[in-house]
Amino acid sequence: MSRMAASIHDSSSNTTLGYDPLNTGVNNFQPQGKYDPSILFTASSNIEDLDQWIDQLWQCRLLTEEQVGKLCTLAKTIFLTESNVQQVKSPVTVCGDIHGQFYDLIELFKIGGPCPNTNYLFMGDYVDRGYHSIETVTLLISLKVRYPNRITILRGNHESRQITQVYGFYDECTRKYGNANVWRLLTDVFDYLPLTALIENRIFCLHGGLSPSIDTLDQVRSLDRFQEVPHEGSMCDLLWSDPDERCGWGISPRGAGYTFGQDISESFNHANRLSLIARAHQLVMDGYSWGQGQHVVTIFSAPNYCYRCGNQAAIMEIDENLGYLFLQFDPSPKDGEPNITRRTPEYFL
Amino acid sequence: MSPVVITLVDLLSKIKRKIDQFPASDISSSRFGKAEFRDFYDNIEQEMSGLLEPIVSLIDFNRVKLTPKEVTIELKAYLVESWGNRTRIDYGSGHELNFMMFLFAIKRLGLLNVDEHDYNSDLSADTRKPFKLDDENQNDHTDATSLVLKVFVSYLGTMRAIQYMYWLEPAGSHGVWGLDDYHFLPFLFGSSQLACHKYLKPISIHNADYLDMYADKYLYFGCIKFINQVKTASSLRWHSPMLDDISGVKTWGKVNQGMIKMYMAEVLGKLPVMQHFMFGKIINAPLGLSQALPNGQDGENHVHYFWAECCGIKIPSAIAASANEHKGHENFKKMPSTPQPLPFD
Repeated sequence: MSRMAASIHDSSSNTTLGYDPLNTGVNNFQPQGKYDPSILFTASSNIEDLDQWIDQLWQCRLLTEEQVGKLCTLAKTIFLTESNVQQVKSPVTVCGDIHGQFYDLIELFKIGGPCPNTNYLFMGDYVDRGYHSIETVTLLISLKVRYPNRITILRGNHESRQITQVYGFYDECTRKYGNANVWRLLTDVFDYLPLTALIENRIFCLHGGLSPSIDTLDQVRSLDRFQEVPHEGSMCDLLWSDPDERCGWGISPRGAGYTFGQDISESFNHANRLSLIARAHQLVMDGYSWGQGQHVVTIFSAPNYCYRCGNQAAIMEIDENLGYLFLQFDPSPKDGEPNITRRTPEYFL
Repeated sequence: MSPVVITLVDLLSKIKRKIDQFPASDISSSRFGKAEFRDFYDNIEQEMSGLLEPIVSLIDFNRVKLTPKEVTIELKAYLVESWGNRTRIDYGSGHELNFMMFLFAIKRLGLLNVDEHDYNSDLSADTRKPFKLDDENQNDHTDATSLVLKVFVSYLGTMRAIQYMYWLEPAGSHGVWGLDDYHFLPFLFGSSQLACHKYLKPISIHNADYLDMYADKYLYFGCIKFINQVKTASSLRWHSPMLDDISGVKTWGKVNQGMIKMYMAEVLGKLPVMQHFMFGKIINAPLGLSQALPNGQDGENHVHYFWAECCGIKIPSAIAASANEHKGHENFKKMPSTPQPLPFD
């Protein structure tokens, strides 16, 4: 394995995001690396299973359908307890789209530190396009179930039955398991994923962006999220919208969600006492991109997207004082050949 | 080559030269793609009527019963759409389809001599020698061969130059689970070109020497070589498992039949692509299509053309629903009965 090229990009690493210590529970933060055993789901047999699954997935080896089924059952009970606006404590490392680029996710953990030593917040789009969507999303879900307080995983617009049937995840499941059962199990879990997270009441994290029908975080909290991502409406917007150079709301060229201008993000942040919106959803050349007068940041964590875009990936480390640091990384080198036998696609039989 | 084919190749080379007029800068924006693409696109759009004039002047207007203006508007719509999406700065098989519709419209206008092809026929039974890309005299009494090997190949070359210059995002790419991030048809045409080749087999794409030797002669080999160049993973098996799977098929004829089936299902049968399809007086909307959705579904830069059936006409959702039923997705929730455009990413 060659060394990754992580660069500490932002020299002003002590910049804070207007953090007000009186307003937050930063002092309640627990030391890193200690797993809280009081979690309901950590019956010792489950922990054994989970540790074994994580080991296996770490080597990019698929779980069986039965194991995925068991994992999904455990995962649903955990996600059920989480809010649409899941509270997250700092320090935490915030990550963007992964899109089945499993080996790059492993690279990400090397650069950001292993889970649970580092707290993670992933902002969706684990599946589609890449070769290893199943391994990627089952690893993240296993980590979530094993260390529920150490990792938060949000829903992206690709965590949807409809989208995954178009952009590869469905094909990957039928290709690797011979049927769609695992796709069905995992897309059922996607309905339970939280939509947004809130770091120390100051940084609002979500996959896409804002919605014209949402002014307050309480409105997000009151959404019924346990469903397929709808075609329209506020839940859809949170997963699909993009910031834009133009002011106000605009029609999204994506066909779902909206575009929103700096005026919108400024007033949203002001009204909700936020200092920043962190989101993913768009390919950016450096892996991260500030926008809208530093009211919004885009983070994209799939390097050399689709093996051809040449972009760097980035993750955003947020420390106890809400200071931030971007870590950029390049694709992990891949050696050898996949250990999957050739299978003639149906059209060509 | 017939005069029409020569005119088409000339038109494409004029468009290719325009890329140099609008070089991309290093300025990064919030979008991945280069904003200069929009200048290139606007320029083509502005000058398209003039560029099309040599083609339009070949049409027998007594026969087609349309005015030169009507014809120009519709040809322009297809050819402008062929270069990608201006707002999103992206490109996908739907844009490639628009180029084929441009050629199809020209055929409908009586300018091309192309036999109706029976796509179920077994191409490997053909005993002719395969036509090569660099053959000067492709001994075909119709325009079919030169339409692919000259016109389409010229379009492909221009399109790759555009993708390279302006960093077009792959529109709706299936990533490693599709054939290619941008193109479909070179694989369909390329497999047909090789159908009667005596020695080259689908599995030969893994041989680097063959790729070097035949990339300039056979479209399929050219595409594989190109993908190996642009994709950085160590092997085709990583970055293109679909192409790897297809290389296990015994004959090119079988590959070609599969490509046609796949094109029908994955491009022509998919709502995210077909919702953008444009109908007009040359290529008529099939009976039963509902009216276009109101403006705006395609973004604020969506251009409305002057004929009644604007670009917004959506493929009936039943087509997508039945395509999905056909694939046996039990859990697939049927589309609502009113056409609704699918979001893309």
